[in-house]
Amino acid sequence: MSTLPQRPLRIAAAWTLAMAIAGLILAVLWAILAAAGDGAGNSRVDIAHLVRMTTIQAGLTTGLSLGVGMALAWALNRLRFPGRDLIVGLFAAAIVTPGMVVAFGLLSIWGRNGWINEASRALFGFSLGNPAFGLSGILLAHVILDGAFAARILLARLDAVPSSRLKVGQSLGLSAWKRIQLIDWPAMRGSLPGLGAIIFLLAFTSFPIVLLLGGGPANQTLEVAIYSAVRQDFDLVGAVRLAATQIAVCSLVILLASAMPPVPTALGRSAQPRWQDGPGARGLQWLVLVIASIGFALPLVSVLIDGLGTGLLRVLGQAAFWWAALTSLGIGASSALLTLILALALSLGRAALAGRLGRTVLGAPTFAYLAVPAVVLSLGFFLLVRLLGFAPGQAAPIVVIIANALLALPFAVATLGPPLDAVARTRGKLIRSLGLSGSQQFWRVEFPLLGKDIGLMLALAFCFSLGDLGVIALFGTQDFQTLPLMMFRALGAYRSNDAAAIAALLLVATIIAFVGLPRLFERLAHAAR
Amino acid sequence: MIKSTSMALAVLFGLSAAPILAQDVPTLTIYTYDGFASEWGPGAKLSEGFEAVCGGCKVNWIAADSSIGTLRRVQLEGDTTEADLIVGLDTAIAGEARATGLFADHGLDLSGLDLPGEWTDAQFVPFDYSHFAFVYDADTVANPPRSFEELIALPEDFKIVVQDPRSATPGLGLVLWIKAAYGDRAAEIWAGLKPHILTVTRDWSDSYSLFLDGEADMALSYTTSPAYHRIDEGDDSIHAALFEEGHYAQIEVAGILRSSDQQELAQKFLAWFASAEGQKIIPTTNWMFPVVDLDGDLDPAFATLPQPEKTLTLSDEDILANSAAWIDEMLAAVQ
Repeated sequence: MSTLPQRPLRIAAAWTLAMAIAGLILAVLWAILAAAGDGAGNSRVDIAHLVRMTTIQAGLTTGLSLGVGMALAWALNRLRFPGRDLIVGLFAAAIVTPGMVVAFGLLSIWGRNGWINEASRALFGFSLGNPAFGLSGILLAHVILDGAFAARILLARLDAVPSSRLKVGQSLGLSAWKRIQLIDWPAMRGSLPGLGAIIFLLAFTSFPIVLLLGGGPANQTLEVAIYSAVRQDFDLVGAVRLAATQIAVCSLVILLASAMPPVPTALGRSAQPRWQDGPGARGLQWLVLVIASIGFALPLVSVLIDGLGTGLLRVLGQAAFWWAALTSLGIGASSALLTLILALALSLGRAALAGRLGRTVLGAPTFAYLAVPAVVLSLGFFLLVRLLGFAPGQAAPIVVIIANALLALPFAVATLGPPLDAVARTRGKLIRSLGLSGSQQFWRVEFPLLGKDIGLMLALAFCFSLGDLGVIALFGTQDFQTLPLMMFRALGAYRSNDAAAIAALLLVATIIAFVGLPRLFERLAHAAR
Repeated sequence: MIKSTSMALAVLFGLSAAPILAQDVPTLTIYTYDGFASEWGPGAKLSEGFEAVCGGCKVNWIAADSSIGTLRRVQLEGDTTEADLIVGLDTAIAGEARATGLFADHGLDLSGLDLPGEWTDAQFVPFDYSHFAFVYDADTVANPPRSFEELIALPEDFKIVVQDPRSATPGLGLVLWIKAAYGDRAAEIWAGLKPHILTVTRDWSDSYSLFLDGEADMALSYTTSPAYHRIDEGDDSIHAALFEEGHYAQIEVAGILRSSDQQELAQKFLAWFASAEGQKIIPTTNWMFPVVDLDGDLDPAFATLPQPEKTLTLSDEDILANSAAWIDEMLAAVQ
């Protein structure tokens, strides 16, 4: 018999939400098919080839990102040094930085005239060429984005290992390797399937990076084919067919990942007792950190250096910039809040369920936004808004908030899901025997334990919408623009210095959110106790 | 928690209420692409100029992410579109736009325009033009190629960046350019270019940034692009390479939508836009040539730009019937 407390309300709320999200996706596809009329879709692309190429690329990205993420989380968990919070913030910022910004940062390090090539020319007299293009370029950019994100999530899991366990481990004199096996791996294991699925989906549906760094049509994703079906051919039936293919492949990955049983993780506050690994392990940790910093942080630092130069004052002097910044903040805050509500409802309901099938089904809608191509989703939203009789201009803020919340949802659930599962499994019996109600369970047990994770999740969701360019592109107007849209427009008007300045400011805001919000919520959660 | 919710709601209502104001004056709603409506583009100055002469009207720009995006948007919206006008299609997609049946005749006399070739279009009014060209930095490229064949013959580490013809109008322009210059040999030219293509980007701006960052030796852009660097940055090093086979021109056009209830005001706007008054805004905001002779009002830097002797053209019907096949030919050759 299950030791889980009975929480019918939580389960009902989660089911309702899951059904609502699934319904929204169906409505979106239906709206596009309805707009397509009876046009015969003759797709001009080789779907099998696209699926094969995209799967190879996404598979490589996932494997590399998880490996790199685990190594980096391990190093960051052990090392203490000045500026560590900033480095952690930078790594966390990678995932939500617009793809274009990261790609250009990457090029300024690895490109033909990048720092690495310049150093190589100065030191050895030859240039390394252009490693940043083609499949290697795509993988490099994806691993920077996704590996850093994986590291941040896994670091949170390692930081949450209770100090009592560490003390026991230390008193037993565990070697660095034994500690990984006995303490770190079990703590990280529960997050890996969900994380892996997210990274696979991100890489599978990647668009601007694949186009910019891929080198040409040889390296393409289904997403690009869908974009061209909608944009160039106006072949909406073909686009929906391609989208259905993409949704089918992605759903398979999602179902596999959500069927994985999460491993119970003991939770505790992240007061860090210092764990001294041996000198060999510490050397390795520093090596990992230095390599990762060159790989991850330097491209972002170069974005900051480029952007905080000439264009900055000109940008700050524009009323349009401040209005766009205010809009971005409003949209970001609203969608982060919506994401929190959705993610909590879904995760709490899922954690309260004992049956495996129900848990799998409840896990799936979380990934809606990653499975459905962004161009299809934004087009569908646009059509739905029109069908409901609103002008896109009036509905724009609400649609952008909802779409951004869906965009952040998989990340939010990956952050909150495993710890909530762990609470239900490890403390379910206690909660039952104390006879706590659902709200008491939340405020007395779950919220205090989740403080830091909620802060991290809010930071993620806030920054996702701060960096979004996919949804706003179709809904933006002269009076309703966000900072990324303004950046994109500056690039389109030769103003690359202004664009660089906006990119740098976005990055700074992201880092502040990532360093500040988890701390704030840890404090709030502490107070709630 | 409650505090931040009400704050979020306040922000929401504040934002959504903004566009509802000012409905009593006749309003011209114009769809255009992002760059055109941006702080740096011509949009704001054009509204200011026209609102001063129209006798109490308002111009409202709605920007889509690309010029083809504006057309798709009105196609989706059909008769219910808010748009009175589209500003920013080009001659390569004019045939397709015409075929939608969404556009009304402009009824203007455009015989006095200064364009490469005569303008006889009944629905679309040209508002600027430039020839597509590869731009290079004279500080790093001493001997730019003078034809596609010279470019192909260069060592493979001479790299160019181009745009995807499925998402960017210059990318489509290059497909048409090569087709107009080489006809049946186009696939061969693309195959020859393949080793030189560093990457194919979605937007013009991505390509141009790669070029400015020194990742590529040349980027597909316009003969007028150097004017921006000369005028706004005082930088003389960016030039357009002139090709012996001739250049394809992009002529940007505007058209009135049949569904608009502001036909007269829209015509007035287009007439003003195509006059010297409206045109003098274009060169230093959209960085293209005006379609009328501005004499002293055109920045002298534009006069120093070398221009191709030969303009290549293809007919609307030809493009409408074949562009999909030509794009496939290009994709197959560079894949």
